[in-house]
Amino acid sequence: MERFLLKRAIVLVVTLTLVSFLAFLVPWLGDTDPARAIIRSRVADLALDSAAVEALRIRLGLDQPLLHQFFAWLGRVFQGDLGLSFTSRLPVADQILRAIGVSATLALSALLLALAIALPVGTLAAVHQGRRFDGIVTFIAQGFVSIPEYWLAPVLVLLFAVELGWLPSAGWSGFETLILPAAVLCLRPLAYFSQVMRASMIDVLHANYILAARSRGLGLAGALVRHGLRNGIQPVLTVFALWLAGLLGGSVVVEVIFAIPGMGRLIYSAVINNDMPMLQGSIICIVGLAIIINTAADVLYGVLNPTVTVSGDAR
Amino acid sequence: MISPDETPCLKVENLDISIGDTIAVARGINLEIRRGETVALVGESGSGKTVTALSLIDLLPPPLRVTRGTVSICGQKITDATPDVLNRIRGNRVGMIFQQPSSMLDPSCRVGRQVGEALRLHKRASRGEAFERAIELLREVGIPEAGRRARSFAHQLSGGMAQRVMIAAALSGDPDLLIADEPTTALDVTVQAQILGLLERERKQRTLSILLITHDLSIVSAMADRVVVMYAGSIVEEGPVAAIMQAPQHPYTKALIDCSLMRKAGGGDLESIPGTIPSPAQSIPGCRFHPRCPHALARREGSVCASDEPTATRTAEGHLVHCWAAEP
Repeated sequence: MERFLLKRAIVLVVTLTLVSFLAFLVPWLGDTDPARAIIRSRVADLALDSAAVEALRIRLGLDQPLLHQFFAWLGRVFQGDLGLSFTSRLPVADQILRAIGVSATLALSALLLALAIALPVGTLAAVHQGRRFDGIVTFIAQGFVSIPEYWLAPVLVLLFAVELGWLPSAGWSGFETLILPAAVLCLRPLAYFSQVMRASMIDVLHANYILAARSRGLGLAGALVRHGLRNGIQPVLTVFALWLAGLLGGSVVVEVIFAIPGMGRLIYSAVINNDMPMLQGSIICIVGLAIIINTAADVLYGVLNPTVTVSGDAR
Repeated sequence: MISPDETPCLKVENLDISIGDTIAVARGINLEIRRGETVALVGESGSGKTVTALSLIDLLPPPLRVTRGTVSICGQKITDATPDVLNRIRGNRVGMIFQQPSSMLDPSCRVGRQVGEALRLHKRASRGEAFERAIELLREVGIPEAGRRARSFAHQLSGGMAQRVMIAAALSGDPDLLIADEPTTALDVTVQAQILGLLERERKQRTLSILLITHDLSIVSAMADRVVVMYAGSIVEEGPVAAIMQAPQHPYTKALIDCSLMRKAGGGDLESIPGTIPSPAQSIPGCRFHPRCPHALARREGSVCASDEPTATRTAEGHLVHCWAAEP
């Protein structure tokens, strides 16, 4: 286990270095001149003083060779210094940390809600495979996958916030403001989780060990709870980790519509405002988190499934 | 001596098993096992042995289902019983072991918990008691370091070890009847003998009745008191083991014994039965074996074998043959 985690830590560092390089190149790919962008973000005057631009370029080291700049920047990145935002002039790292916290709360709420519904529903659909309940579940799941968030979110806001007045329409100030965005965000993962759980539980239902457990006197429900779920949930866990990694990067549509200060909105406004440090920092943080989450999923997988040795060492 | 009016451990009467409503997989099965008796159910792959075994504890996988007849275990009717009644019988009055022991164990559950499961369900044992008793049972079935093994997982066990675990799990509820479906088929020959020895020892100790399902005649004479031979879903012959092995009456039983390796220990070519067992969907009028039957009667044009299903003929005490050519 320790060896496995060490390996993953190395992967994390190497991947982050590579991703950092790509992130570092972002400003160079576009036709944005960093020095100009910085000055433009600070003075509204569009007529730029070219002497000031040149002075800033030298002060920021932008006249140095590319690799030299990269390593200087990388050194700061690994110390947690992601620079200052062009727009707010506050440290990028602090803002990202706050936004990730918000996005993580939203993502975990939505995904755990989806999981809590999908596990029993997928299991029941598997038990009733090919019958009406199964058909309804599959139909609804397909519906959930095809409903776009940019349509569903305003509809729910109109219904629950404007018409009924039960819930706030937007903002981020406690549990009430979490409900609508989490509901919108949970539908797609709910559809995927329930279908993966269904397929996995169909395999489990036909597994010999379920037959053996039933031959010892367990009813179908008892056999599924004691011997089925733990085996059936493993593929769902994999999909869960993928979704979590994806949603931590923020859901632009939901966060913008509900005015939630998460990663999605942070990146959205960074793109709109050409806020390069913010974009670079966000990319690095999201990739790093994705690797950490996948590692955690692998560890959990090994805990659930004793035939998988996480370390890859022979037993 | 067993009194004749004692309630049999297992009684099967006129059992039909079908896929859906149409395709018959087993027809008119009659079986009776008395206390402490071992009955071998013999036949080729596809003859309906496993399906018959699963129907005895009402665990046929759909769309297979019992369409006629009754099964009773220790006088308790299984057919049409409620799920509660069935759950109280399974693991408690009847235990079952299977062909692929490793796949019969939950891969993510410690084997000790699975062995103790019947105790938790039927004997109201606490988790700790069940686990302690599971260790004892594992020791009883010959697993070394039982305490450590109880904490291991299925993938850490060899096939023979897994079958011992399955036997311990099936016996933990102290059942009257053990259904053993090809218990040694997937195992090495040396391990086979150990497992059979273990079953025989447990049978004596517990006055257990055993339904031994096998296609391997070489293990039948060592284990069984009586033999029931199945072909294509029907019983073709049944009788005491000595009578069946030494004086088989049905052409299929004769062919089966001729094919068995045991007979060929002295050398010579191996026999085989020409043709293959018909699939349940295939409709064969008359005796289902007649297209493969070497007997002169079956080979004759317009023979009764091709038109009418044979009735049972009693050739000796307790020896029944379903064949037109059999003589009482």
